[in-house]
Amino acid sequence: MGATIEIRSLAKTFGVGTGAVHAFGPVDLTIHSGSFVSLLGPSGCGKSTLMLMIAGLLEASEGEVFFDEEKVAAPRTDIGIMFQDNTLVPWRTVEGNVALQLELRGLDPRAYAARIRDLLRSVRLEGFGGRHPYELSGGMQQRAAFCQALVHEPDTLLFDEPLGKLDAMTRESIRTDLQTLWMKQRPTVVFVTHSIEEAVQLSSTVCVVTPRPGRIGRTIDIDLPWPRDLEVKASPAFTHYVREIQGIFHDYGVL
Amino acid sequence: MTMVSSSMPPEPGPIIRAVTAAALAVWRSWPFLAFFIGFFLAWEYAVILFKVPGYILPTPSEIVRRGWADIPRLIDYTLVTGMESVLGYLLAIAVGVPVGVAIAFWEPLRRTVYPFFVSLEMVPKIAFAPLFIAWLGFGLLPKVIIVVLVCFFPVALNSIHAFGSLSDELTRFCRSTGAGRLRTFWKVRLPAALPQCFVGFKYAALNATVGATIAEFMGSDQGLGFYINIATGNMRPDLAFAGIFFLTLLGLALFGCITLAEKLLIPWHITQRRH
Repeated sequence: MGATIEIRSLAKTFGVGTGAVHAFGPVDLTIHSGSFVSLLGPSGCGKSTLMLMIAGLLEASEGEVFFDEEKVAAPRTDIGIMFQDNTLVPWRTVEGNVALQLELRGLDPRAYAARIRDLLRSVRLEGFGGRHPYELSGGMQQRAAFCQALVHEPDTLLFDEPLGKLDAMTRESIRTDLQTLWMKQRPTVVFVTHSIEEAVQLSSTVCVVTPRPGRIGRTIDIDLPWPRDLEVKASPAFTHYVREIQGIFHDYGVL
Repeated sequence: MTMVSSSMPPEPGPIIRAVTAAALAVWRSWPFLAFFIGFFLAWEYAVILFKVPGYILPTPSEIVRRGWADIPRLIDYTLVTGMESVLGYLLAIAVGVPVGVAIAFWEPLRRTVYPFFVSLEMVPKIAFAPLFIAWLGFGLLPKVIIVVLVCFFPVALNSIHAFGSLSDELTRFCRSTGAGRLRTFWKVRLPAALPQCFVGFKYAALNATVGATIAEFMGSDQGLGFYINIATGNMRPDLAFAGIFFLTLLGLALFGCITLAEKLLIPWHITQRRH
């Protein structure tokens, strides 16, 4: 089970003086251990900024973040992180890229050979371990990046629109992978997205973020059965959640 | 299945494949070859047709004949100019890359030395050549220094750019692993910087022979620049052209080496990929 993340009065302002941009907050939020929380909002609302502050990769202007009551003061190294633009390097193969996560941590990738193989198989990349990223489709690259983010067995995962640049079919299939993993291991997941449907399908809780300066406008627990397959997505309850959130964005003037 | 495979033509051997590939390459480049040969034929016959005197413009065949007669000296001087170019070039890389890394990673240098370098880039470095000849004489050293001077800036400026432009995502990814600066440098920053570094290396390779030749024009008793200078002074354009031909070979060899190094070091880069 993953960490419990406490966010207290967190805010971010970029720049100083009259040119300063109040990007985000203040936000108070508790992300419970083992939950899948989506930060759902329009582009530019600061949801990625919030994710970076949770990871300790960006300093907050005000407020604090706690991982299991431990204050975040430096980049967290016990997390797995994924961005919209993947962090695969072009000079390494798929396997080499997954191993890069380990090598940067000073771990011996040979000790993880079986885990790397299993991970690649779990996202249907068996047989592609020796290929370079440029030989793969966008969806396969993102699957490889997924393995890279997971190989060191983090129990907290931070995803910043990892499916943002993929086509609808590929998105659907990677969502299923993601959901399967989460149901099996129950890490704490923070998932930044601007797709309402994606947030409702994957999350135990959806945090609706307001336009800039971003705040958590509403927190909605999604009470739908798992796994959220096509049948669940076709159900009236699913549609109800999507409509409800669309209504909220409509009130914000976004939709 | 056996029926099908037995009716297939046999796999060609490696020699046949290589010959086929070479023949194909020649066939594909025939427009270039035709133009190349046509150019020299046109030169040859234009000189004969218009009765251009040999001390103004010799024919290509004359250049080959006279050059061949002086081949030991031409080879000797090619080695001299080659030594100056290669030494200066390697020295420029050995100094330019670390300087580029230092400026890319250290804020105070980026605020002081970097703008100074950018403004120096506007100065035609070759204008310093007479000064170095005056200070250091006719030997190898002033030529090497001039080559360093014309090669250093493209190397250093491209290195600054190369090491200072890792994507936000990769920078954050590295930080989230807790890797130290040194490990991040070897595993990520250095390989990521190589393609841009090679842009500078290639540009500098073109400069290297130019620098060495001009330095020899200004004060020297050997080398291809010296040879061309003397030949022109003696109204022997045939020998000057022979010297230019060897300079071209030298430049091609240097550029070929750096292109090969690029192929070996960054085969993954988009400029190196086949298909």
